[in-house]
Amino acid sequence: MDDIRKSVIKTDHKIKVDGSAKYIADIKFKNSLHAKTLRSEKAKAMIKNIIIPELKDGYYIVQGKDVPGLNKVKVIQNDMPIFSDTEVNYIGEPILLVVGPELKEIIEILNEIKVEYEEDIPVFDMREAKDAFAKYEYEKGNIKDAFKKASRVIEEKFYTGYQEQAYLEIQGVVGSYEDGKTSVYGSMQCPYYVKNAVIQALGCSEDEVRIVQTTTGGGFGGKEDYPSLIGSQVAVAAYKLKKPVRLILERIEDMSYSTKRHPALLKYKSALDEHDNIIGMDVDITLDGGAYATLSSVVLQRSLLCAIGVYNIPNIKVNGKVVKTNTPPNGAFRGFGGPQSTFAIETHMAHVANEIKCTPLELKNKYFVKTGDNTSTGGKFSYDVKLEEMIEKAEEISDFSDKYKKYSNEKGIIKKGIGMSIFLHGCGFTGSGERDFIKAKVKLLKSKDGIVEILVANTDMGQGLHTTFKKIVAKVLDKNYEDIIYKNPDTDRVPDSGPTAASRSIMVVGKLLERAALRLKENWIERQEQIIEENYKHPDLIPWDIEKFNGDAYPSYSWGVNVVEVEVNTITASTQVTGIYSVFDIGIPIDETIMEGQIQGGVIQGLGYASCENMERKDGRLKQHSITDYIIPTSKDVVNIKNVLVDNPCDLGPFGAKGAGELTLVGTAPAYADAIENALGVKVNKIPITPEWIMEAIVNE
Amino acid sequence: MNKTITLKINNKTITTEENSTKRLLDFLREDMDITGPKEGCGEGECGACAVIIDKELVNSCLVTIGSVQEKEITTVEGLRGTKQFDILEKCFAESGAVQCGFCTPGMIMAAHALLSKIPKPTESDVREGISGNLCRCTGYNMIINGILMAAKRGDGLW
Amino acid sequence: MVDGYFPSTFEEALKILNEKDVVIYAGGTDLMVRNKNATSLLPTFNDDLLYIGNLKELKEIKESTNDLEIGAACSLSSLLIEKEIPEILKEAIRQIASPAIRNMGTLGGNICNASPAGDTLPVLYALDAKLKLTSRNSSREVNIKYFILGPRKTLLEKKEILESIIIPKAEFNKLYYQKVGSRKASAISKLSFVGLAQVKDEKVKDIRITLGSVAPRIVRIKEAEDILVGSNLKDIESKMGDVKKMYSKEIVPIDDQRSTAVYRKIVALRLIQYFLNIEIRKELGI
Repeated sequence: MDDIRKSVIKTDHKIKVDGSAKYIADIKFKNSLHAKTLRSEKAKAMIKNIIIPELKDGYYIVQGKDVPGLNKVKVIQNDMPIFSDTEVNYIGEPILLVVGPELKEIIEILNEIKVEYEEDIPVFDMREAKDAFAKYEYEKGNIKDAFKKASRVIEEKFYTGYQEQAYLEIQGVVGSYEDGKTSVYGSMQCPYYVKNAVIQALGCSEDEVRIVQTTTGGGFGGKEDYPSLIGSQVAVAAYKLKKPVRLILERIEDMSYSTKRHPALLKYKSALDEHDNIIGMDVDITLDGGAYATLSSVVLQRSLLCAIGVYNIPNIKVNGKVVKTNTPPNGAFRGFGGPQSTFAIETHMAHVANEIKCTPLELKNKYFVKTGDNTSTGGKFSYDVKLEEMIEKAEEISDFSDKYKKYSNEKGIIKKGIGMSIFLHGCGFTGSGERDFIKAKVKLLKSKDGIVEILVANTDMGQGLHTTFKKIVAKVLDKNYEDIIYKNPDTDRVPDSGPTAASRSIMVVGKLLERAALRLKENWIERQEQIIEENYKHPDLIPWDIEKFNGDAYPSYSWGVNVVEVEVNTITASTQVTGIYSVFDIGIPIDETIMEGQIQGGVIQGLGYASCENMERKDGRLKQHSITDYIIPTSKDVVNIKNVLVDNPCDLGPFGAKGAGELTLVGTAPAYADAIENALGVKVNKIPITPEWIMEAIVNE
Repeated sequence: MNKTITLKINNKTITTEENSTKRLLDFLREDMDITGPKEGCGEGECGACAVIIDKELVNSCLVTIGSVQEKEITTVEGLRGTKQFDILEKCFAESGAVQCGFCTPGMIMAAHALLSKIPKPTESDVREGISGNLCRCTGYNMIINGILMAAKRGDGLW
Repeated sequence: MVDGYFPSTFEEALKILNEKDVVIYAGGTDLMVRNKNATSLLPTFNDDLLYIGNLKELKEIKESTNDLEIGAACSLSSLLIEKEIPEILKEAIRQIASPAIRNMGTLGGNICNASPAGDTLPVLYALDAKLKLTSRNSSREVNIKYFILGPRKTLLEKKEILESIIIPKAEFNKLYYQKVGSRKASAISKLSFVGLAQVKDEKVKDIRITLGSVAPRIVRIKEAEDILVGSNLKDIESKMGDVKKMYSKEIVPIDDQRSTAVYRKIVALRLIQYFLNIEIRKELGI
């Protein structure tokens, strides 16, 4: 095999193109029953009574009392019920399932069920929230001193809105029960998360639960923890009824009630000395967690770790909290707290630059972190930081600085603008999660005939793991990647190699596979079946202390520079993106075309986050809850992205690869905001930057 | 009133006593076990259900089987094995046009419908041709490159 | 459970319509969204469907000296390739939804659905389109401005079908269409603007201005147009204030999930000003 990065045809390409790939809704389970969810009409209430009509033969209710184990979804905390039939905390919260053979009858039953609520006063606005799921803070240097010495203080607030993953394949799971074993099949990112949740729900042993991932049509974090909820529900139902139970959501249901990106309020305060140097920065972040904790504490952690971006500021104070509101719980979405903070720090730096009369890039240049610098939490940027080279390349391909100057002085109805963002993303799980909680394990199974199979719990949701993992193993063993086997994970057969999240799959699991393959190669015995196991080894880092919020939060970092060029029609405030340029350092790509796909897809998702993906609530309900009203970009809204990769191999990852899955979404929004500011001379402080906001800014100018 | 509905799907003539108001998408997926067309939204917005009816791209979630009797209905399963499908498949592979694959059958149908009308499309034509097919993974550009590549290589096929 | 009628001629369709309670189904693109049910369940129609989408009589395009008659069941995409169809109508159709929707959706459907955001409506109002409404025993022509009473409400009687749309021929050398949507495809209009003018020797001979999605019905103000007809281009500036005031009174948009009333109103007035200041002076039409 050539150099590993050389593009190959994806091994699941054919079945996806010819329509034969089976997603969960495509699979027919014999004798399966349909399930539909009864959901709360109230945002905060006690349930006094549920009046269920007489049910036809073959129709059942599955609810809290049918849960043999703990009626709580196992995520980080155990605060969210599987069936919320005594108390509800958001409109849409699942109360029970109606299960039966005919969907029409199920829906009629649903409409006849009466729930008696005793209402309480809900909290919808995160600014009015009283409870927090998590709080953290950290400091560096002497922030009080810095503000005492300051000649100028620049203070501002930012708001970032919801973002819905909008994967094309709607969430769905099927639970079944056979011979003492409960199985859940479905669209998911983390089979072992679902397995652990089902074990808790059924109060049973490990070998009584089996989870099988089916071909998954997109996840982006939206299928990281939500399948644990619906998976537990169908597992309980299948266990009770001893028949397959099929729960496939409707799009409006999925959009309205599954997890989304946390909205955020970010306050930035910078202290400048008499020479206009930034000597201190105080950041305060509030995330809206929704009604239950889910993954919010970790999202908050990453958000705080990205709060100072790619800058080395001498004195800092960062604190944040994620609060409870009576809305559907928020969760993981590519970037996981990073996009919110990156938008804020990049835009704040641009605003500071404006105040002191220089360009954003001129200001940012003075503070870029360098190789060997400490991170804001007392860790170290041990691996090479190539920001200078990356910005040079970005200038080369986009002509950024010249255009920035030119566009600042334009007149006319169509105003052009160009903007740049510089950002990072920590690779892998935040803190010591990899060592203390995940403890990843991989297996390679070699048959007597020398066929090698990869046994891991990681899932392909479009990002190409089926192909990249095979390439890694094949390259080490000097085989054809198409001869390596890697099936959708089945927990009966694969060890827990950890979740497919946090940009860890290639770097952490891929590395384990590389080591396992090396050991297999060195110990290869012909005509004998062999199993090689490899366990996670934590690299030598400055230990992470979550209480003090101190140490190396991540073993390594990936870096990005984005440039976005826009045209703004000042009559209608509509915008058209006319150029997108990116430079990324992700170590090395395991497959160039697959990496290009991650770049194109992630950057465009970031563009949607910046401009058209507006999602608002009124009285706890979403105003945009259908694929018609929640606006994601179409083919006519985007232009081709010109991208350059800067090689920077890191020995923590296979062949030098680092994390890449989330990085590519993180930078588009601040680059877009910078472009809008360049075009119109306005000050952006919220995303999405809708035409409605732009028009108000134009009129107020 | 008709009691029997006659449909032509992927070159086969099918008669059915299903209700004539049944959605074509449901008929294909449940009665015919043709699962290439997918339900992504049920509102005609995402294009994952797109099929070709009498050479036109149509969202099958928005048509009743009664409304498409006597028309030629083609799904991605019906394109398999044709020279045009082979070129599209190869070019989609090279250009990295497929990630999670859920939008892909619809994209293939949109590409085929477009190239059947405009064998040598511009980039703008292609963007227009797939403008009703949503994709969340690829950001569209690699799909567009794949279709333009197929137009070039498939010289004479469309 | 309901079923369908499949008439093979227009006459047969009218007979059924006269005798039964039915839902008229042409392209189905609006109907199927409004009657959407859960996956795999039948749509929620309460009456039998009368399928008229394939009737030849409703798909004809007839041109005479004075006008153009378009069959109501012509699909939107079919109109894009007919040379007789006015360019301004094609401009609007090109930006409707997506190719798949345009292949099934019909001009008649867009009219009878009577959505305040119906994209062909501002064009048809500007062109003074008339609608031929036919029942078993009668036929009448109604100007579109009287036909649509409000959102989803029209003058169409229970036993009538919209048979065709009659567009009086008129010459315009300035055409300006602007659809403001949340993205460049598959977008329901936040607002839309149609500006047509015939300018000769720097004088306005004819001018039509309509706006969509900014009021319960399409906004067209004949009195404002009359102020501008006969003006020299250089005099328009002085009339702008009064003209804008007249439109401002009729432009009463709402806040909804797509946009805000404030935005819609500001942009509507800016588009009027832009058309009268700039577009009307451009050398060519579209």
